[in-house]
Amino acid sequence: MIKFILFSVIVGWIICSPTLLLFRVLHAETPPIKPWFKKAVLLKSYQQSFDWLTPWDKREIRTQSGMALVVNLPLSKKSETSKKADKKTLYLLTTAEMVADATLIEVTRKDIRQPFQAKLVLMDYAANLALLNIENSNFWDGLNPIKWSPVKNKSKVDAIDVYSFKIKSAHKWEIESGTIQLMTVGHRRVSDAWFPILKLSGFSKARQGYPLLQENEAVGMILETDKRKAIPTQMLLEFLEHAGKATYNSLAHRGFSWRELPQPSTADYFKIPPALPGIWISRVLPYGTGSEVLKHGDYLTKIGKWRLSHDAIIEHPEWGHSLFDLLFLDQLKVGDPLELDIIRDGEAMILHTKVSAYKDDGRTVPLKRVGYTPRYLIQGGFLFQELTANYLSMWGANWRSRAPVRLRLFLEKNKTVLMGNNLNDESELQSAKSAQRFVLVTQVIPDQINIGYQKLSNAIVQQINGQEIRRLKDVEEAFLNPDKGFHRIDFLPGSDRLSAVLPVEGLNQSNQRIKSNFRIPKLQSY
Amino acid sequence: MKYFMLHNLVKIFFMLICLCSFYYLNAHAKVSGIEHAVFRITNFQQRPDWQSPWKLKPTVRGQGSGFLIKNDLILTNAHVVSDSRMILVNKISSSKPFLADVFAIAHDSDLALLKVRDPNFYLNLNPLKLGGIPKLRSRVRAFGYPMGGQELSRTEGVVSRIEFGTYVHSGIDSHLLVQTDSAINPGNSGGPVTQHGKVIGVAFQSNLRLNDVGYFIPVPLITRFLIDMKDGKYEGVPEIGVQTSSLFNRHYRRYHGLPENNTGILVDRVVPRSSAEGLIIKGDVLTKIEDKRIDAAGMVNFGEQLVSFFIEAENRQIGDSLKVEVWRDGKFHNLSLTLKAPPFGAELRNSYDELPEYLIFGGLVLIALNRNYIHLTGNLSPSLAYEHWYRELERPHTRRDQSVLISRVLPSSVNTGYTNLQNFIVSTVNGSSINTLKDLDKMLKDMPAATRHVVFESEWDNMPVVLDYKKSLDQQQDVLKRYGILSGSNLSETN
Repeated sequence: MIKFILFSVIVGWIICSPTLLLFRVLHAETPPIKPWFKKAVLLKSYQQSFDWLTPWDKREIRTQSGMALVVNLPLSKKSETSKKADKKTLYLLTTAEMVADATLIEVTRKDIRQPFQAKLVLMDYAANLALLNIENSNFWDGLNPIKWSPVKNKSKVDAIDVYSFKIKSAHKWEIESGTIQLMTVGHRRVSDAWFPILKLSGFSKARQGYPLLQENEAVGMILETDKRKAIPTQMLLEFLEHAGKATYNSLAHRGFSWRELPQPSTADYFKIPPALPGIWISRVLPYGTGSEVLKHGDYLTKIGKWRLSHDAIIEHPEWGHSLFDLLFLDQLKVGDPLELDIIRDGEAMILHTKVSAYKDDGRTVPLKRVGYTPRYLIQGGFLFQELTANYLSMWGANWRSRAPVRLRLFLEKNKTVLMGNNLNDESELQSAKSAQRFVLVTQVIPDQINIGYQKLSNAIVQQINGQEIRRLKDVEEAFLNPDKGFHRIDFLPGSDRLSAVLPVEGLNQSNQRIKSNFRIPKLQSY
Repeated sequence: MKYFMLHNLVKIFFMLICLCSFYYLNAHAKVSGIEHAVFRITNFQQRPDWQSPWKLKPTVRGQGSGFLIKNDLILTNAHVVSDSRMILVNKISSSKPFLADVFAIAHDSDLALLKVRDPNFYLNLNPLKLGGIPKLRSRVRAFGYPMGGQELSRTEGVVSRIEFGTYVHSGIDSHLLVQTDSAINPGNSGGPVTQHGKVIGVAFQSNLRLNDVGYFIPVPLITRFLIDMKDGKYEGVPEIGVQTSSLFNRHYRRYHGLPENNTGILVDRVVPRSSAEGLIIKGDVLTKIEDKRIDAAGMVNFGEQLVSFFIEAENRQIGDSLKVEVWRDGKFHNLSLTLKAPPFGAELRNSYDELPEYLIFGGLVLIALNRNYIHLTGNLSPSLAYEHWYRELERPHTRRDQSVLISRVLPSSVNTGYTNLQNFIVSTVNGSSINTLKDLDKMLKDMPAATRHVVFESEWDNMPVVLDYKKSLDQQQDVLKRYGILSGSNLSETN
């Protein structure tokens, strides 16, 4: 009898197991995809950036495909008062990289074959976010704004299941599953910006602008396919909140660079109590939280109520051990009052400040910027340009190691020793040399007036006609004051030559000749 | 009459045959003589490891050529015999090697003299004679022992160019060189290039990116080297010490008020401590050198071609005088310079035959920045480039004799937290600026025993490196022992 029962159980188990498995597979819960047809649209952009070597020309057109998400602006008065989403308050949210330098942006709804032309309303290149609008009201019919939600199941440490889409064709959308590996802080090098970011895995088809979904709610937006990053909901909401205001202010950001104290002798030298955790302020930025009150060499121990470890880790209420920049995700908002506990010259003190935002200016060599026409000026074939990361990026993807070392020096040592400064305080530098730039003669466009100067390239201009050159505008002014019929241009040592002379007589004719021969639309642009 | 004409024709024909035979035999005899005076040189070379300056890299075997220039001296290239541990010389078709020593070496002009220890080596050998500057497109013959065989190789070609160019051995010196399409391959270096039985140059480098482009050092530079060595001490090729830029642009010439049809080259910079300092000034236009007109590109007549006006300095010795004419303030001025050695520091040249300077303190490896180090993979950073090349140009008053840097850190408990530190350029130590590695060594040794911290500060890094002084001293021997380093320093006596 016992044998019979045992036999029946085993046979039953063998027969039932595959059946049950098949049942589970067949009835596995697939996330609903249909509601998203009204919340996400396909986006195709045609981008053409300027050629910074011949700054009046543009480079080849490139196309990118991704998505844009339907959003409304949280602080928009209309959206606050109306119960249903007013289609006039709806916008499309996507990444800045998708639409930077775009000549045409096309969006296509799942249910309408014809693409609509979108216009860029707002772009925060540092945060990699952009807001688009479509003037044709038919486009918005039936579309609903996305409901954003923070990531759930955070207690599950290893990975959090999420999903997005894989678009096989404009009308065939499928679900693609992946996971959130962790919430961390990403460094966007093109802008030198640090923002909270979700690190993903498992996605292979999802692209820029695709929504990151969890339990049928959007928890973020995918930024890059290859590096698998997504911007979390809270940052998107903050962007939308700022976008709804009269003047856009970027997202909350730190206002300093920091270093760990390497060892006890360093702490002892800086009069920092032994074993007191904190971070050493290595540089104060010209923007961001704490920039107005901190000084180079301060030892920061607490941000608000959050204690800092030796390696800048705080205990985030949601995400646990995290870099302090994660506080800007949901704990600190632009404008919030904030206390910073520091040790300065051996004394403990509390600094009072307000959380403030990122800014993309304040550098002598501006970081990569988009949507700007390059600034240049041509005189006698000398092409004057300001040194920018955009110009350096003309040396290709590895420009940080391939661009001329002489020029990289100015970028890397932004507070350069070259001009006699050795300041660790960016804001101090800013006030000392407001909006200073390095002006180069990037090339000499051949003409009879400049025979003998053609080898000159990437020479840093020091003076023109005795006037110091600190920005491109100075060049134009300096050319108004020639000396005895000549314009004299002096370059920083280390250039191919240290000076050049152009005659006043014949300069205008030369400029017109160059304009016509080389089909240059304008002799100056700024 | 017919008989008379025929008789004369036969006589002329006979004379021509005699002349050709004589020329052939003579030429053959000369070639045969040349071959016996050309030797294969084998150098067992060991270069320092610039990343770990207390170490030497494995020994490598290099092959080059050389030839007898005097009764007991063999002329070759400096790069053939530099950093040698042992030099062997073989005669033509002989497997017997002879030990040789470097008698003199000129890294600036890539020339060296060897002496074979065994006097029997020189028996029945005749030194080769030096000729002159060859004519463009004239035929030349290169002798040597290039890679790919053991026997003497002879190749022929024509003179393609005579001009100034960089001598890659030092990496910075620019001298007269002759370009030929005669095959000059690795191993040919140091071999003679001949014409009409006389040496007209020493093969020394080629451009591997181009076809049939080889170079040889012409006779004037060889002669200069031999004269320089007469007192047994090599002083070097003198330099004027000016940086110039062309004056092709006619408007620039007008701006300087140069008389019509007058050319010259503009002085952009006078190098401190150079031959020109105190005589030539920035903004001068150099119009003549030793009565030769300088054109707008800085060229002067040299035989049938134009070469850089620097030729007039390089063919002279240190201490010789040199006449120059400059255009200054609307007038011509005649000046006489006393030629000096190049004013730039040895750190700008590739270094050979000496061990790198270093100092180890608290596990920090401190070195003096030089050309060898900056050209190591990954070291050409903007900050090192600035210290190496641009500081002297831009802010000469801040120049130091050596740029001292912490090249790396040997991990130890005294330097925890700094173990990833690399290429930290040291500006001050405990507030005092550092001029040389030797100064730093003295400063560290002379610090009072009660000193708590040693603080290395840099203009390029806003966080100083701070070590516990006593701990660093206490752990010095332990660090050296742990990393197998025999000495905590190698410092130059000259600084």
